[in-house]
Amino acid sequence: MGVVDAEQPAVEPHDRIAVSVKDVSMVFGNVHAVKSASFDLPKGRFLTILGPSGSGKTTLLRMIAGFDRPTGGEIFINGQPVSAVPPHGRAIGMVFQKLALFPHMTAAENVAFPLKMRRHDARRILEKVERYLDLVRLGGYGNRRINELSGGQQQRVAIARALVFEPDLLLLDEPLAALDRKLREEMQLEFRRIQKELGVTTINVTHDQREALVVSDEIIVMNGGSIQQKARPVDAYRAPSNAFVANFIGVTNFVEGRVVELAGSRATIEANGLHLAGLAADATLAGGKPCAGAVRAEQIRVAPKDGHLDGLETVVDGLVVDCIFEGERVVYEIRVPQLGDVLMRVFDHDPESHLQFGPGDAVRLGWNARDMHVFAK
Amino acid sequence: MTGSRSKSVVLWTFVIAALLMLSAPTVVVLGASFTAGNIITFPPDGLSLKWYGAIAQASDLRQAFVRSLIVATICTVVAIPVGTLAGIALAKYRVRFARSIQIYLLLPFTIPLIGSGIGLMLVFGNAGVLGKLWPVGIACCVINLPFMIWAVTASASNLSPDLELAAANCGAPPLQRFLYITLPAVLPGVITGSLLMFILALNEFLVSLLLVDARSVTLPVQIYNSIRSIITPDLAAISVVFIACAAFVIALLDRLVGLDIFLKSK
Repeated sequence: MGVVDAEQPAVEPHDRIAVSVKDVSMVFGNVHAVKSASFDLPKGRFLTILGPSGSGKTTLLRMIAGFDRPTGGEIFINGQPVSAVPPHGRAIGMVFQKLALFPHMTAAENVAFPLKMRRHDARRILEKVERYLDLVRLGGYGNRRINELSGGQQQRVAIARALVFEPDLLLLDEPLAALDRKLREEMQLEFRRIQKELGVTTINVTHDQREALVVSDEIIVMNGGSIQQKARPVDAYRAPSNAFVANFIGVTNFVEGRVVELAGSRATIEANGLHLAGLAADATLAGGKPCAGAVRAEQIRVAPKDGHLDGLETVVDGLVVDCIFEGERVVYEIRVPQLGDVLMRVFDHDPESHLQFGPGDAVRLGWNARDMHVFAK
Repeated sequence: MTGSRSKSVVLWTFVIAALLMLSAPTVVVLGASFTAGNIITFPPDGLSLKWYGAIAQASDLRQAFVRSLIVATICTVVAIPVGTLAGIALAKYRVRFARSIQIYLLLPFTIPLIGSGIGLMLVFGNAGVLGKLWPVGIACCVINLPFMIWAVTASASNLSPDLELAAANCGAPPLQRFLYITLPAVLPGVITGSLLMFILALNEFLVSLLLVDARSVTLPVQIYNSIRSIITPDLAAISVVFIACAAFVIALLDRLVGLDIFLKSK
């Protein structure tokens, strides 16, 4: 894990930490929704909590918002413990999954509501509502009723309402999940633009790995109530800390085997009688123990059966089972008898010939030792 | 083709029959009220407004009508806070024994009105308040409250629980959340329920009959007392005024919240 640590920023001074979660747990009946989660988030950063449904990410967010009280641990916002502070006493803006705009109010009244509750004077409210509607590019839409706005415009009203009172923290509870792909990608960039413009510390929850990679400064990957990894997007992708993270972000092939040799950061594994060199990515690896070697679909190169794959440390033979044309790339599904008939997915971006192989073709596959991350099983 | 044709013939026959049945009483009363003769008949014996003139002069009918309005107002004023709070609580919060409470609140529906009437008569009789108007209003409220609760529950259960959380997140403490978010969101249900309560109390006959005396007689009871002696066309005229009041309330309801709330609610 030396690679990851070297790229992490130095430890932040205390007054630069916006949110600090310390050993926070949540137990509902006999379900352990969040298990002793801890992390620090420096001010101004955009953090995404990524995980499958039921991973505890939304529960963690609701505890930060104050809707649920942790059964263990403490959450600090700007250094202050907040467990005893009700949600309306915390200066946190939130965009809900289903937006939760007030249906009986206009767009402008929705945006004005947090200011009204904070007893700002009427002139200032008008001014700020206008400014924030402009910020989310809804200038002139203030008098519209919520049901007169499109899905994307409603998103923008929800963002303006969450930000208008200049909160210490912005929470996003999968607000983009229901949008179609094009609008979702547009709104992802919009979130990022607004977040950068205002510099507000943001915690976003999603199950969409692409969204996490695109919008975040940092990613926390959760599974089964536990934090699996906290890293910058590029590090979570390039140096996943365990097999779950490697599998959840990106398209990853796993070769199962046994550790035969550990030498520094290099690990050699034995799979189906074959010795493969890889990168030891897990501190709990030990000689003789079962393990999995993870290789990204885009790190594998593919060549005709008699072709050469120069410079690659691992080369195996395979048989194309399926090829899927995705426009900018082709995905091959290739069976590898030498590795116990494992199916491997390979991305091919050959600029000259798309679909150079078809089902039934014999091919060769190869990858570099540094691209196979070896995890304990 | 013939199949769909005969189907539409059958359908239209039903529709017309139903419309006739539903509107016949109103049409007959309306027609009879304009008669120029001295007995109540349909079709009317000539046309005149003289019986409307007569009821405008008849102070007993007029006073009974005012009493009915007072009863309906008391009933509605009591039902609004009680029914709104109960309806919201049942729809939105995980109240203990919510189901039992719901059934308990629906009980007035299942008890025959004459039973409730006698019970209420005994209660108010023991308290020594029989003959006053407000017990009649309270009684109408008790027996019709399920309508109010049903109307409020129908619009409160459409409410997303996230709305209150969003309001909390915007900095609204519990009371403000209720006043600014929950209450306006269930307002259509409250309006529907209170207009229903008003009409039902205005029209209430059986329970009123048991609770009123000569000084506190309400309009339906007054009409009933009159037809026991001689049936004159002024009763048709006052009935038309009555129907007009109810129609006005329904029109108001349509203007304020739209009648589709009845069609949508289960």
